[in-house]
Amino acid sequence: MVLIIGGAYQGKLDFAKEAFSVAQEDVYSCSGPEIDFSRRCIDRIEEFAYACVQRGTEPKAYFEAHKEQWRDSILICQDISCGVVPMDTDQREWRQAVGRLCQYLAGEAGRVSRIFCGLEQRLK
Amino acid sequence: MTCFISGGAKNGKSTLAQNLAVRLAEGGKHYYIATMIPVDEEDRERIRRHIADRDGLGFETIECGKNILSCLDRADPNGTFLLDSATALLMNELFPVEKNYEMDLPAAYRCAEDLCTFAKSVRNAVIVSDYIYSDAVRYDAVTETYRKCLADIDRSLAGVCDTVVEVAGAQVILHKGELTL
Repeated sequence: MVLIIGGAYQGKLDFAKEAFSVAQEDVYSCSGPEIDFSRRCIDRIEEFAYACVQRGTEPKAYFEAHKEQWRDSILICQDISCGVVPMDTDQREWRQAVGRLCQYLAGEAGRVSRIFCGLEQRLK
Repeated sequence: MTCFISGGAKNGKSTLAQNLAVRLAEGGKHYYIATMIPVDEEDRERIRRHIADRDGLGFETIECGKNILSCLDRADPNGTFLLDSATALLMNELFPVEKNYEMDLPAAYRCAEDLCTFAKSVRNAVIVSDYIYSDAVRYDAVTETYRKCLADIDRSLAGVCDTVVEVAGAQVILHKGELTL
């Protein structure tokens, strides 16, 4: 599994498409608390996590429960870890949940890349 | 040589950029492009502090809050240009003061293109931006548009510049090219 992280609008999906020959139809773009792991590339995992938080479930637990389905996937998650602690309860929990999830995924990943202004920084 | 510098607030980007610009100039012409259009006394005070910071470094200041290519009419393209920052330039273009800060999206796109043209038109350029993309806030649409436009500028400049660095804790993380200080 490859984990791609980075700030908003940094070109994470463009990088995945180019570096791993991912086609648009291979991409699942998260918007709710479920993920279609039949697609090779899972984008916007932070949005999946936000939906989980609103529903009161733990995104990391969901990934653990579906581990067999993403072991060869390309996973993309926005880094939302660097701002001031949010005032809003959901946003606060969201930040924590994404952090826990990314630490877990980075541990499982064979490669972790951070994208900065469209450029890859290999972290693992 | 063109260098793009980004990173979080108060990490040493401007200091690095100034030192690099002075070194690249090798005693020749070097210009500081002043991007802030002051609207109140707080802005004017900040500008005074920045001018004092640059004192003795030999920069010639060019006031240019918008239309970055207009600098080239007022300076020698064989010189060295320090632009600090793309963030302020975009703010002026996207939310023009003369239009009562009403969003001008085409101006933002033009700004990205002009910055790339600018970087390719001068001998040396050091361009500073701000990394505002890793917080957990769900912003309103206007702020989100600003972030996206700045990211477009950043990615375009990172593509055309020889060197791309991120500054963290006054240290350099090299993402592209080479940097000798």
